Amino acid sequence: MRLPLRGRIAIVTASAGLVLALLLPAAAPATAADPLILRVGTTDTVSTLNPWGVILVVDYEILTLNYDTLVGFGPNVDPVPGFAESWTKSPDGLTWTFKIRPGMKWSDGQPATSEDARWTIQYVLDSVKAGRTLGGGYQEPYITNAGVTGVSAPDPTTLVVTTKFNNPLLLQSYVGILPAHIWSKLDPEKAASSFQNPTPNVGTGPYQVVEYKPGQFVRLQRNPNYWGKQGAADQIVITTFKNQDTMIQALKRGELDYARDVPATQFDQLKSNPGGPIVTVEGISNTFYELAFNCYNKPIPGGGASTKALQDPAFRDALGYAIDKQAIVDKVFQGHAHVGSTQVTPFQAGWHVEPTNLRTFDIAQAKAKLDAAGYPLDSSGRRLDKEGKQITLRLNWPGATEEAQAAQLISSWFGQLGIKVNASPSDSAKLADAILPPEADPPGKANYDMFIWDWVGDPDPTSLLKVFTTKEIGASSDSNWSYPQYDTLFDQQLAESDDAARHAEVGQMQQMVYDQAPYHILYYPSQLDAYRTDRFGGWQNQPSQNGTPLFQFGPIDYTLLTDASAPVATASASAAASAAASAAPSEAAIATAAPSPSQAPSAPASGSGSTPLLLAGVVLLVAAAAIGLFMLRRGRQSAEEE
Amino acid sequence: MSGRYLLNKILQAIVTIVLLVLLNFLLFRMMPGSPERILGRNPNVSAEAIAATRERWGLDKPVLPDQLVAYVSSIAQGDLGFSFVYRGLPVTDVLADRIWPTVILFGLGEIIAIIVGVSLGAYTGWRRGGVIDHVGNGASLVLYATPYFLLGMFLLLVFAVGLGWFPTYGMYTVGATYSGYLDQFTDFAAHLALPLATVALGLIGQYSIVMRSSIVDTLGDEYVTTARAKGLPERQILRQHALPNAMLPMATLIAINLGYVVAGAITVEVVFNWPGLGTLTVDALSARDYPVLQGIFLVLSVSVVVANLLADLAYQYLDPRVKA
Repeated sequence: MRLPLRGRIAIVTASAGLVLALLLPAAAPATAADPLILRVGTTDTVSTLNPWGVILVVDYEILTLNYDTLVGFGPNVDPVPGFAESWTKSPDGLTWTFKIRPGMKWSDGQPATSEDARWTIQYVLDSVKAGRTLGGGYQEPYITNAGVTGVSAPDPTTLVVTTKFNNPLLLQSYVGILPAHIWSKLDPEKAASSFQNPTPNVGTGPYQVVEYKPGQFVRLQRNPNYWGKQGAADQIVITTFKNQDTMIQALKRGELDYARDVPATQFDQLKSNPGGPIVTVEGISNTFYELAFNCYNKPIPGGGASTKALQDPAFRDALGYAIDKQAIVDKVFQGHAHVGSTQVTPFQAGWHVEPTNLRTFDIAQAKAKLDAAGYPLDSSGRRLDKEGKQITLRLNWPGATEEAQAAQLISSWFGQLGIKVNASPSDSAKLADAILPPEADPPGKANYDMFIWDWVGDPDPTSLLKVFTTKEIGASSDSNWSYPQYDTLFDQQLAESDDAARHAEVGQMQQMVYDQAPYHILYYPSQLDAYRTDRFGGWQNQPSQNGTPLFQFGPIDYTLLTDASAPVATASASAAASAAASAAPSEAAIATAAPSPSQAPSAPASGSGSTPLLLAGVVLLVAAAAIGLFMLRRGRQSAEEE
Repeated sequence: MSGRYLLNKILQAIVTIVLLVLLNFLLFRMMPGSPERILGRNPNVSAEAIAATRERWGLDKPVLPDQLVAYVSSIAQGDLGFSFVYRGLPVTDVLADRIWPTVILFGLGEIIAIIVGVSLGAYTGWRRGGVIDHVGNGASLVLYATPYFLLGMFLLLVFAVGLGWFPTYGMYTVGATYSGYLDQFTDFAAHLALPLATVALGLIGQYSIVMRSSIVDTLGDEYVTTARAKGLPERQILRQHALPNAMLPMATLIAINLGYVVAGAITVEVVFNWPGLGTLTVDALSARDYPVLQGIFLVLSVSVVVANLLADLAYQYLDPRVKA
């Protein structure tokens, strides 16, 4: 039978598709032994690999794996060797001398010296002068709060930093030391903004990013040149999940080793099945949620709070007796949170001081206090302010359901006092705009009464203490509260050389905010995580009493992990590997170190590199098949017609 | 005549795209709040730093005409700007990574759904009242009525978690070492299976129901009676007479459906953590990454316009009356 032309074309197309399909597997690369991969799931999205662009917790996790900080963070967030192996302070406390580890290398094989540290710190100082923000403004204060005035590198193993304050903040600065041989060649402006820091990253940290897909995942590979203990995982993959349920299912199925931010109901369910490979951990997060008041104390035409009562500490104090924080924790979080008190979270156990004379939930007492402070009820049962106006407060919050539930509870409690609350959710950017007072640039109108929002802290309490200072009105202050005694204490503790004295001052500042109540700190949410123990062992909470294993401070949590399939041998083998570096070639060391000291060639031929090619192949195949089918059909049809 | 019809349709499409670009621009400027304000919720950011950010993102200039002119002229040059969230990564790079997964997922899903849905609908319509009609039509109704999210979660729980046949998330196993391209393809196919099944099943229900009623409509038409009177075999009547006429509403439906791809994409992709435009949209929306959102909207709206243009052209082929 003679096929029509179209029929022949169809057959040619279809066979071309087949040949292509056969060719694809023929071009296969050779494979190595499967690497041991630690798979971590989070709902956060990595913003950037550029350490000067970090903001989110997950960004810092990448930073801390890629780069060493000058001083590291130990199991209890205590100072341990990092880029520097030791340090001393001059008698006046103003000059620090850091010893940089001799013979240390970057992951690309270049020597890592004090010059790299000097360049990094100098870059931060230069950026402050040039008005550049680093890490959304979170990075440079690590250097400026420590009062750094100058930095020098007299020899490759010595770094000298001079400061104007005698405080220990330099030992907690979360600034990654970058390789000067790469970063000093960049335009300083671009280095802080649009520079993408291409993979493979070059750092001295235990793992280096070798692959990054924005919004999807980051893949890191063990740095064979790392100076410290090598972790058991050959690679780490941190994947972003848009759906917490899927993340939990992946953990259950063993496709993930660690899941961060488990929803409370799932958490309880996982927890109720002990004995399996999944372990749940309830840590305390370095976060607080507050009910904030607009305390701005000057009139603003067309703006400001709806009543002057909010400027009165006695009024704000009385409201505190009408907030049942325990009820919020129980009803909104099913118990997975802690009752809030001060602006320094209990996560910072060394700094958190529980205030004296804590308010207890007591509507009658709140009413009595309001009456005594000069806010009587009118005939209709509504509370009046000193201008004789009925008090109606606006309450906003950005987004999440937890805040909405808390707002509902608070509205009903305040309602019992005769204070009407108009509660409504607000977009975060809109709310941030509404809060701005006339001092801001461009000026705002501070047109709000109350809101529920959160703050996330550093290892050191400074940043969250600062929010309440008068200087921050128009910047980060969102209660627009001004209290000169507090400002004095803030400056004093920043320059304090005596640790005990600083603790006392920080304690006083917490008591002050609690008593004056520009905020009522509502709760400290728990950090709910879960992990599997069938592939990796050695999980350790950081800090040990209330932390979680991952997403804490420094890379130590990753290097402590052990291979669960070889429980006896691994601990000693990797210890030997780290002790003797390349001399004792353990199996794990061969896998990563053998190809070359540089990272680029040692990245295994993972699928992602050829993914576009593969996708193109699939598209071609499908298109060929579809066209072939279509033409065959047409061919047959015309044949039938003939 | 035909050339004029074509020209007309193309002109319409171009005008629509220009209007879309303008709408796209205005829509995002009308949203409350300003993206750099998020920076202000930081105890360490100075007012100067926020001002510098506004300047860098071009937010310090007036919306009209400065921002509009800058926007239109850069789009004309194929530059969609820089992502706020991904710290200055070009939007075109962000999109380029995410378009293919969605095209594959929904392209294949559409193809499967068209083939299966049209055949199922045609068959059940032709043999209406039979066992297959009852079962097929019932199943189609259920599938049509089930939201993607539910269907996806169901498939995930049964086939990924319960039976363990397929992986739960992603497009491929990140960091895996493959023994060959076949191995790699299998990995990809395993990841694709469940999201693809979700998309295809949802669309099959829709297509078969529309196809069925469309076929039933044509059955009463006189040309079918004529064909029967001529003594043509049933098979030929269906394929050559009823089917081509019944395909007209299908072409419209398929073209319109492309517009809903992103709505479907968001839920299916979110369930399976598929790295496509849907998950990107969720991300960009929650972080108010204007440039990326604008890019996504532009790509989607242009593809809907193009799909409708193609549908118009297909009519010409399907329905000779359109040419006249």
